[in-house]
Amino acid sequence: MSRIKITAAFAAAALIALTGCGANAGASTVSGDDFPKKGKSIDLIVAFSSGGAVDTAARLVQPILEKELGTNVEVINKPGAGGQIGYTALTSAKPDGYTIGATGSPSVVVSPLDPARGAKYTRASFQPLGRQVVDPAVIAVQPDSPYKTLKELLDAAKANPKSMTASTTGLQTGEHFALAQIQETTGSEFAPVHFSDGASQATTAFLGKHVDVLVANVSDVTDLTKQGKARVLGIMTAERSPSLPDVPTFKESGYDVEAGTARGYSAPAGLPDAVAKKLEAALQKAIEDPAVKEKMSALGLQTSYLSGADYEKFWAGQEEDFKKALPLVQKKN
Amino acid sequence: MDTLTELLGGFAAAMTWQNLIFAFLGCLLGTIIGVLPGVGPVAGVALLIPLTLNLDPTGSIIMLCAIFYGTQYGGTITSVLLNTPGEASSAITTIDGYAMTKLGRAGAALTLAAVGSFVGGTIATIGLVAAAKPLGELGLLVGPPEFFALMVVGISLLVALAGKSMVKALISGALGLLISMVGIDPVAGAPRFTFGMDRLLDGVSFVAVIVGVFGLSEILSYRKNAETPLVHAPGMRSLLPTRAEWRRSAPAMARGTGVGFGLGLIPGMTGSVSSLLSYAAEKKFSRFRHQLGKGAVEGVAGPETANNAHANAALIPLFTLGIPASPTIAVLMGAFLQQGLTPGPSLFTEHSDIAWAIIASLFIGNLLLLLLNVPLVGLWTSILRVPTPILTALILLFMVIGAYTINFSVFDVFVMIGFGLLGLALRNLDIPLAPMVLTLVLGPLMERSLRESLEISQGDFSVFVNRPISAVLIGLGVLIICSPLLKFRKPKALTEDPEA
Repeated sequence: MSRIKITAAFAAAALIALTGCGANAGASTVSGDDFPKKGKSIDLIVAFSSGGAVDTAARLVQPILEKELGTNVEVINKPGAGGQIGYTALTSAKPDGYTIGATGSPSVVVSPLDPARGAKYTRASFQPLGRQVVDPAVIAVQPDSPYKTLKELLDAAKANPKSMTASTTGLQTGEHFALAQIQETTGSEFAPVHFSDGASQATTAFLGKHVDVLVANVSDVTDLTKQGKARVLGIMTAERSPSLPDVPTFKESGYDVEAGTARGYSAPAGLPDAVAKKLEAALQKAIEDPAVKEKMSALGLQTSYLSGADYEKFWAGQEEDFKKALPLVQKKN
Repeated sequence: MDTLTELLGGFAAAMTWQNLIFAFLGCLLGTIIGVLPGVGPVAGVALLIPLTLNLDPTGSIIMLCAIFYGTQYGGTITSVLLNTPGEASSAITTIDGYAMTKLGRAGAALTLAAVGSFVGGTIATIGLVAAAKPLGELGLLVGPPEFFALMVVGISLLVALAGKSMVKALISGALGLLISMVGIDPVAGAPRFTFGMDRLLDGVSFVAVIVGVFGLSEILSYRKNAETPLVHAPGMRSLLPTRAEWRRSAPAMARGTGVGFGLGLIPGMTGSVSSLLSYAAEKKFSRFRHQLGKGAVEGVAGPETANNAHANAALIPLFTLGIPASPTIAVLMGAFLQQGLTPGPSLFTEHSDIAWAIIASLFIGNLLLLLLNVPLVGLWTSILRVPTPILTALILLFMVIGAYTINFSVFDVFVMIGFGLLGLALRNLDIPLAPMVLTLVLGPLMERSLRESLEISQGDFSVFVNRPISAVLIGLGVLIICSPLLKFRKPKALTEDPEA
């Protein structure tokens, strides 16, 4: 009896040891020369729900990435907490190139800066691979709203602070910063409503008239404007957007506010060089693909490619800027 | 676009060969689950979710829906041939079904059950098509406060699923809410109940929990029945019902459809209630009621039509309102959420292509079931000849692989095993599992909409009663919660409903 037990224990131990070795052996061969292995698919994590601009851009890039890399690329939506859930998943993945993710600032830049969020990642947890677009922030009202110009809206919000609700895609996201900057420069205060799963929820709530003001990006409102379902009053950028040529900038209306979202793709830090190079090259091809660019601009997204290294510099610059602006959007206790 | 165009578009999407294969596989697996006596529909659907996780949303949901109504039909086979119901909703079929087997009419009974299931399922799906458009158009009217109120109605169903003890149901419901809280706070981003473990930041895997709580615990608590008798599948010839049998079944099927469809729409009703009431209806209205219990076709055709009409009708509140009407549907809703689809009014505005493809596949699936089941009866019965130890071992293996493949991590396997033990403990304590799955699925949606609503109202709770739609819904929820106080006693069949 006891001999059987010992044998069984031994066999079990041997089995465990074997599987353990197997796993180790698998990990040590990541040099990147054979990346990507045929038939092993790459996960592209999108930290917002399907239907938003981040998701749409990722899905446009995906087929070209597949062609360039010669393997499946799967877009996986992990929405919640204004991007933090998806970013956590991305940075806790193995840096072997089989997990990459869409990263958008300010959400990815800011979430680790506020200790209250308890983010498990920092700027150093990401390896930027390339920037795709800059999507300026806009402010829009219901088509039947009494406010026809930016000034009228902001004056009303100044006279009666928090009398109007405004959507964001989550606490401390680009839209939230935009609201904070508006308040800082103009004194007009809106009551933010955070739709932490992404822009599609925010837009749906706006269309149902559950929020008064839609703070969003150019790409979110391009289609709505065409259908007459939203009246965009101002764009927070230096120049007018080609997608919304009739919409005046905040500067033109006399307010010094610039805000927006920059989106790109990153991997967890620690990629082998060869893998990073392959991914970066494939992403550049995909982002700069004429057909992709055309579809992007039809959606109101102006492609603005930066290489991995430049995207990293841009990211560092944003970190400095947002560090200063952070107190504006922190929860007052 | 009108409903018909969209439905046709749905058919085009559902008829790709991949989706047809998924529907076929779903029917096949569902029938097998239905045939196996130890594995109920909730456990079955839970067990098979990992299989569908890596498919695209349309294919995955098509397959799960097919599994869901496949189980309803599979349960019939053992009821008729063995006098052992594979599912609770087929229990009543044993009376006349087995009597028919003894009379040598097993084949006819199975065919009539299959046709009845097809009729009931198809008519209920037509109901879904009719309801989808008007209710889907309400989509934009449903803002965060209304959505929250819908979730209150959903959670209040806990009362209907409570079974014998309200306290135990609340324990189970609270446990579900607690588990759903684990992970990063969906609004403020702070980790909750993760105990410093990075693995838990993304929450406890829903699929691993479901597979454990329902699948594993069911297998662990499986008590060996008496030896399965050797069954002989009826020959092809005896499959055809006689003309008289057809004639007698038709009114029973019509009544069964009515009963099943009506009850399926009422959240909290399970399929067994429908089949029981349909049998009762036959006892009252059938011209041949004196023969019931001695092998009357009405006793098979009625209940079997009813439970399938019920299963398909129960998808209506899920698709249009996001309310899971039964534990199985709650698991199905969890699978929707895993795929990034939130069932409810916004499903038809945000993902109308997927929604219509799924609806179209319900028609296809019902047809597939009919084609699949009758000729293959012999195959299904042969599954019962596999010895129980081998069968349970295979299912266990399947569950471990399923849990592992969610994230390719052993952690999820341990989560599955841990929750399996928890499920077993709850079963032994007589604490119902249904409330837990309900709150586990609805909890996060409820939390999000509550917080969004309060931001809209800037902290004022009156937002839920000031808006007409949400006020009505909240009132309805309160009414459901208070209903046990009104001495509104459930019939005995309901309180002892094994599905609840």
